[in-house]
Amino acid sequence: MTRRKFIHKLVEAGSVIVVGISWLAKNTTPRKFVWAFRVKKYPGSLKPLRDISKQSKWSG
Amino acid sequence: MTHRGESSFGAKQEVSLKLKVQCELCPKMCLIEPGQSGECRVRINIDGVLRTVVYGYPCSINIDPIEKKPLYHFLPGTPILSIATVGCNLHCENCQNWEISQANPEDENISAYFCPPERLVALTKRNNCPSLAYTYTDPIVYYEYTYDTAKLAQSAGIRNVLVTAGYINEQPWKELLKYVDAANIDLKGITDDFYRRVCTGTLKPVQNALIIAKASGILVEVTNLIIPTLNDKPEQIRQLAQWVKVNLGGETPLHFSGFYPRYKMRNLPPTSLNTLEMARQIAMNEGLDYVYIGNLRSKQGENTYCPSCKVLLIDRSGFTILKNQLKDGCCPDCGKEIYGVWK
Repeated sequence: MTRRKFIHKLVEAGSVIVVGISWLAKNTTPRKFVWAFRVKKYPGSLKPLRDISKQSKWSG
Repeated sequence: MTHRGESSFGAKQEVSLKLKVQCELCPKMCLIEPGQSGECRVRINIDGVLRTVVYGYPCSINIDPIEKKPLYHFLPGTPILSIATVGCNLHCENCQNWEISQANPEDENISAYFCPPERLVALTKRNNCPSLAYTYTDPIVYYEYTYDTAKLAQSAGIRNVLVTAGYINEQPWKELLKYVDAANIDLKGITDDFYRRVCTGTLKPVQNALIIAKASGILVEVTNLIIPTLNDKPEQIRQLAQWVKVNLGGETPLHFSGFYPRYKMRNLPPTSLNTLEMARQIAMNEGLDYVYIGNLRSKQGENTYCPSCKVLLIDRSGFTILKNQLKDGCCPDCGKEIYGVWK
C-alpha cells in the first residue's frame, strides 16, 4: 500500500467514526417536549355526562 | 419544542433509537422511559413520543360559585364551570383532592367524561357561565387541553380561570397566560424545605410563576394553606406576606386556608380559627390590603373592606354574596379603586 492510499483509508475510517458517533449522539439523546400529542382513546373508563349544576365535592 | 399533533395509541411511529423522552413542561423535567409516564401520571412516552392521555377527558365537570376557587376579586357572585382531569405534578402529603390528583387514568374507580374543547365551551355557554375554571387537580398537567379550550373559550367571550400550584416552566406558562383572565395560585409555604418535604417540589419555580402571572396583567389571588406545626409560625407567615407584598404588590388578595387531615397527613389536627385570624392580622400588618380566611367560617375574614376608609364593600357568607356595594369597581364612600375584575 502506498503512503497516499494509507492516508486516504485513514481519513475514510476517521470520517466513518465521526459520522457514526454524531448519528448515535443525535438519535439516542432523549427528545424534548413541551407539547404532548393527543391520544384518541382514553385508557380508563368513560361515563356519560350527567347533571353538572351542583357544586363539586372537590376543593378548589 | 415539538409542536402538537394528533395520534392514537396504534399509530405508526417513526423507527428510531429515540426511546426516552424528556417532558419540559414543568420543573420536574421528567426523563420518561418508553411505556412509562412522568410524575404527573398523565403524560406518557409511547414509542418515543410524549402523549397526553387526558386531553378531552375530564373526570370532573361542575358548576361552582366563583368564591369556591377561591376568587374574591373576579366577577363575584357568578357561577363558573369547573373542570379537572386526573393527575398532578406535585404529591402534597396533605392533598385535599388526592382521590383524583393522585389517580391514574386507568383506575377503575375514577371514570372520565368525553368532553373535547368545543363541547366544553358549548356547555359553559349553555349554562350561562361567564367563565371556565381549570381546577381541582392542576391544569398544568392537562396543559394542552387547558390551552386549546382556553383559546377557544376566549374567542367565544368566555373568561378563563386557573387554579394551580404554579409548578410550571417559564415558556409554557407565558404561552398559556395569553388566554387566561385570572388565577388563584397556591403559595404553599415560604421555604424550599417545606416544598421539598411536603409537596415533592421546590419553591423558586412557584415564585417565578407568581411573578410572571402578575406581570402579565391577569388578576392574581394567592392561597396559602396553613398546616399546624409545618407552616403556621408567625415568622413564616410574616415572611410569606412580605414576599407577596414586595413581589406581587399589596393589592394582591391573599387567602389563608384551613387544613384538614387528609391523604398522607392524618396525624395533624385541623387548623384552628385562631391561627387563621392571627395569620390574617400579620399579613394585614405587613401591608396587604385584602386578606381572607378560607375553609373555616370567619365573619371578617370572608368580607372585603376598603383599604382606605375600611368600609364594608362585599359582605359574604360562605360562598354567597350577601351585599356588594362596589360602584364601578370603586369604594362608594372614598372612591378608592379596588383591585379586581368586577364585570
